[in-house]
Amino acid sequence: MKKFWKSGDPFVWITGGALAFSLLMIGGLLFLIMAKGLGFFWPSDIAEVTLKDGAKFLGQIRGREEIPQPDASVGTPKLYRIQLQIGNRDIYGLDFKWINKNEIAKIDYPSEAVLFERLEWGNMYGFIKEIREGEVIIARGNEQSWIALKGILPQTEEIYKTIKRIEKKDIGDFNYNIEKLRLDIKKLELRGGDPSALEARIKSLEYQIELQKKLYQNKESELAGLYEKLAENKIVVSTVDGREKEMPIGTIVRAYQPNDMSLLDKVLLYISKVWEFVSGEPRESNTEGGIFPAIFGTVMMVLIMSVVVLPFGVLAALYLREYAKQGVLLRIVRICVNNLAGVPSIVFGVFGLGFFIYVIGGSIDNIFYTEALPTPTYGTGGIIWASLTLALLTVPVVIVATEEGLAAVPRQIKEGSFALGATKFETIWRVVAPSAMPAILTGLILAIARATGEVAPLMITGVVKLAPALPIDGHFPFIHLERKFMHLGFHIYDVGFQSPNVEAAKPMVYATTLLLILIVVFLNLAAIIIRNRLRKRYATSAF
Amino acid sequence: MAALPKLKRTDQAAFDAFSIKRRRLADKLASIVITFGGIAIILSILAILVFITLEVYPLWKGAKAELAGRFDLSKSLVISSKSVNPTSVSDFPILALGIDEYRQIGFVITENGLVDFISLKDGKAIKQIPLGKIEGKKITSALGSLDNEEYTLGTDDGYILPVDIKFNVSFNDNDERIIEPEVVEGEPIKVDALPLTHVAFNALDDDLKGVAAVTSDGRLIFLSQLTTSSLVGEEKKEELKYDLTPELKGRIVTAIALDQFLDNLYVGTRKGELYHWDIRDKANPRLQEVIDATGNPEIAITDLGFIIGDRSLIVGDGSGNVSTWFQVEDNTSPIGRRLKKAHALAQHNGLVTAVAASPRDRGLLSADSKGVIILDYSTSERKLLELEGEGYPIKALAFAPKADGAVAVDERGTLYNWSIDNPHPGVNLKALFGKVWYEGYSKPEYVWQSTGGTDDFEPKFSLTPLAYGTFKGTFYALVFAIPLAVLGAICVSQFMHPSLRNLIKPVIEIMAALPTVVLGFLAGLWMAPLIEKILPAVFLIPAVLTVMTLSAVFLWRLMPKSVRGRFKEGSELFLLLPIFIFGIQICLWLNLPIENLLFGGDYKASIFNTFGLQYDQRNALIVGFAMGFAVIPIIFTISEDALSNVPKHLISGSLALGATRWQTAIKVVLPTASAGIFSAIMIGFGRVVGETMIVLMATGNTPIMDWSIFNGFRALSANIAVEIPEAPHGGTLYRVLFLAALLLFLVTFLVNTAAEIVRIRLRKKYQQL
Repeated sequence: MKKFWKSGDPFVWITGGALAFSLLMIGGLLFLIMAKGLGFFWPSDIAEVTLKDGAKFLGQIRGREEIPQPDASVGTPKLYRIQLQIGNRDIYGLDFKWINKNEIAKIDYPSEAVLFERLEWGNMYGFIKEIREGEVIIARGNEQSWIALKGILPQTEEIYKTIKRIEKKDIGDFNYNIEKLRLDIKKLELRGGDPSALEARIKSLEYQIELQKKLYQNKESELAGLYEKLAENKIVVSTVDGREKEMPIGTIVRAYQPNDMSLLDKVLLYISKVWEFVSGEPRESNTEGGIFPAIFGTVMMVLIMSVVVLPFGVLAALYLREYAKQGVLLRIVRICVNNLAGVPSIVFGVFGLGFFIYVIGGSIDNIFYTEALPTPTYGTGGIIWASLTLALLTVPVVIVATEEGLAAVPRQIKEGSFALGATKFETIWRVVAPSAMPAILTGLILAIARATGEVAPLMITGVVKLAPALPIDGHFPFIHLERKFMHLGFHIYDVGFQSPNVEAAKPMVYATTLLLILIVVFLNLAAIIIRNRLRKRYATSAF
Repeated sequence: MAALPKLKRTDQAAFDAFSIKRRRLADKLASIVITFGGIAIILSILAILVFITLEVYPLWKGAKAELAGRFDLSKSLVISSKSVNPTSVSDFPILALGIDEYRQIGFVITENGLVDFISLKDGKAIKQIPLGKIEGKKITSALGSLDNEEYTLGTDDGYILPVDIKFNVSFNDNDERIIEPEVVEGEPIKVDALPLTHVAFNALDDDLKGVAAVTSDGRLIFLSQLTTSSLVGEEKKEELKYDLTPELKGRIVTAIALDQFLDNLYVGTRKGELYHWDIRDKANPRLQEVIDATGNPEIAITDLGFIIGDRSLIVGDGSGNVSTWFQVEDNTSPIGRRLKKAHALAQHNGLVTAVAASPRDRGLLSADSKGVIILDYSTSERKLLELEGEGYPIKALAFAPKADGAVAVDERGTLYNWSIDNPHPGVNLKALFGKVWYEGYSKPEYVWQSTGGTDDFEPKFSLTPLAYGTFKGTFYALVFAIPLAVLGAICVSQFMHPSLRNLIKPVIEIMAALPTVVLGFLAGLWMAPLIEKILPAVFLIPAVLTVMTLSAVFLWRLMPKSVRGRFKEGSELFLLLPIFIFGIQICLWLNLPIENLLFGGDYKASIFNTFGLQYDQRNALIVGFAMGFAVIPIIFTISEDALSNVPKHLISGSLALGATRWQTAIKVVLPTASAGIFSAIMIGFGRVVGETMIVLMATGNTPIMDWSIFNGFRALSANIAVEIPEAPHGGTLYRVLFLAALLLFLVTFLVNTAAEIVRIRLRKKYQQL
């Protein structure tokens, strides 16, 4: 036994244990997110659970856990319960139900059970009773109705799309124009000048507003017609406990009978659901539908940030490495820049709020957007300020990486260039910079990866839970840097912690988390691979 | 070594085209651009610190005052003074004064029953309104409200008259503001037949009125009037009047104060005692307590007043001391509360002649017989300003309704009008970091509470509980992270084949890149409910895993060499992965039995009964895990770098001398690299201190101070994230949050710099070895 301890192996293994535990945690975390995030889209079978007392529930089984029995004696058989997503929030009130295993008489999987994904109230589980057009019943019973539904759904979807387009595009245009004209009038009034000419111009602008309003009303009536059409076809669904619910087919996003589907069908449906998640608009206060605006916002913010951070970071690094006089002062500056990367992101957020938004944004508003005051244009959170804040946060990363790359360029190459008569700038531009390119790229990727996952500073510089419009649209000047935006990371925080129905929102959050992690891990892997290649190219120590 | 870049044909052409001059010029230009650009960028990055400091600075600036005007009222108000006593300049007959909210018009109420309005631009009388309901009587005492709107006047025939002074604001065609003063007289109430020397009046919902008054022969009278209207609409007045003089036992009253709730009546005497009557039951005013407030029977109480909210009593005395008092819980008192002196404020050189509380915050002005006025902030005991008069006793004093100015009149009838700029009155070092005795608290405490429901709410900005929360979270995170990260780093750097090392390092680095919002979400929504269910198992896991590791080594050593030799160096440790999964499963199985056995089936109740600790679902344990997880890769990577860069000849020497690899690792490598590991921990510390999303999502965010691992906290960083969106730009909360950010900045910056210096030294040391 003494030998056992003296050999040191137990200690070695304990260090190994620490490592293994860390690796296990990473693996477990990734696995958890994968399982929960990917499982969300799978159309699992609909179970009809009949209890011993005769009550019936219809839904998808989402979980299973042991029931704690604090007072039971040792040896009592364990009890389990299952979590059933019963949906039908408009009827039952709650989406989920825990059912004790020992109360269950049987579980069936009826092939005609239908899952409706709806615009409102979440999922509905039930059986189709009939389909009506107005008051006329056009199909009765499951089989007939299912075929009829399959025919009607694409039509209503088309109408729904038209409605959305009108609401977003046309009505959005009118609102935008009216607001713009209103501001023009205010601008004229502020500027003052010859009263009669002013009056005439204001009159003409007011006339234009009236015109827009008229157009707007026309579109409104068109919309009302479409809505009426959408509500024309109705479906009657009976729930498992015999209640009936009539709803317009226009409110159904998707209907399927998972128990009757082949594996291939399910895979196709799975893919289409993933696509909807990535490309669709959010519904039901972000807990359903897609997260396209969040992806768009994240990407755009990161792009703006990169445009700013790359030249500035490289310029600063070039100065530090090639032009500045190396000495104690420079070493201090370098340490400071290095350490800024370790300053908490929330501090940068505070700076962004105080400096960018209140000082710079406030000044811009006072100079260029006087007519809109006191409503702030740039003097409030927006994508440009969030991007600049993150640029500031990540510029040390780019500087450090670029400097490392510049330092790794062998002296001989530089000296060779000088010997051939090149000036310092030519040497840097044509010889040093290209060699340091991978390092610069690594720095940029690391900066992007950090910015993608950062949330705290964004929360105070322009992220919102639901942005009314994307920062890019068809209105001049097309890119609206002052707009607020949505962000994947903030989406996770908001849906997970601020939504009224956390249990129903969780799968959505896991899916978003998975997407965010995939992006971040992909970016980091890219950076690591580039860096490793770089190290091989110039085999110098980098510690 | 890369090959020299070849000159292409196009380059050659370009080369020829460039004259030397132009190339030199380009070079110079580039040099200037890069130098200036580089310096500008670096400076602007470093300017963050400067900017944040500048935003914090106004907190310390204190208040500023400027004498906006000084007018001789005895001259401008000839008509009014004439009727009383035109010759006596030294005792101007003023009883009360006030000012409108735009600080354009001041007014004085004089003994002859007139309200005089004076323009504060030139000191000219604008308007004089006689009080009709007490025409021909002399006013003997007056008391005003904080907002300069409601006044109570006592007359020489024992009446009191409530008066409202209003300023009606309108705009003329040129958009100029026109202020029209108006006096609205209330219903006079007869209190006594003799002149009233002190009055206090308050009305509750117009149905219940309370009056306290002192007559010229020294009697103290409390009178209440209840108006009830019957169903028919008939109004019935019920009046209760009490003479409280006997309870004074012959003391001479020098000041009275009646709170707006008509719950308490305070009376100050010439011998410095403070009498407190409980008048909640209007039919039965009870003398609650008598306190020696000045500590010396020679020193009289000269004035009483209330801080906004009417819960804190201001006491000014004859020796020039001003203090604030409020009722705190006290079990020894029959009503469970006792009046206590909470804050000692200004020290005047002469006796305190008047006090006036701010209508906006907990500030108060006090004036003395030497003509000096001091502005104090009650809760933080910060002395903000000292205003100098002209050496004559101040007779009346008032705060402007927006607390942006003050007016005072001295006994010669000189009116002073000051404008006051006092943006952050309640903040000083003591309020931010020390224990502060807030109104209604039983003792001084550290409190963070930035917003409240009522108008007279006082924001409480103690950063101590937040800093405490930050360090609590940091502590638990590091306790979890340091052993795992450092041991893991030792393992990878010392006992593993380089090829394995190259595999593991990127994995851990990716772990470092995981967005903290993800970790926070998992911690808050997945781990917190899970751990709540399996807490006993969680504490079992380290023990079980250690035991399993040791038994695994034991078994491993029994294996024949031929089997062992097949594993690449260090890869045998991966055998621990399945063993650990099994071990964790065992802990989960054991969870319920252990809970039943050790904790009687309910660990929460057990913890509560044994240690008195409450179990919150989102607690420091969860944060410790999540933040520990976030910081493990950072500590790991940097320690691993330090460990694996220890010069190889040291290790070889040690091994050659017969030391085992563990002995080499612990006795040779670890001491050499200890500075690097220290620096890794420092950097990890810096990261955890500022972490925002995890603490925001995985704790309850309650600013409590308690080291218990089972409850939450509120950290500085999360506090900023939660509160700054709602903080008005430039306000006190905004600047206090900037101060919190500055603290975080400085702490992390200093820690990181220290770590960096340690690392640089270590690098030098390695080169020398």
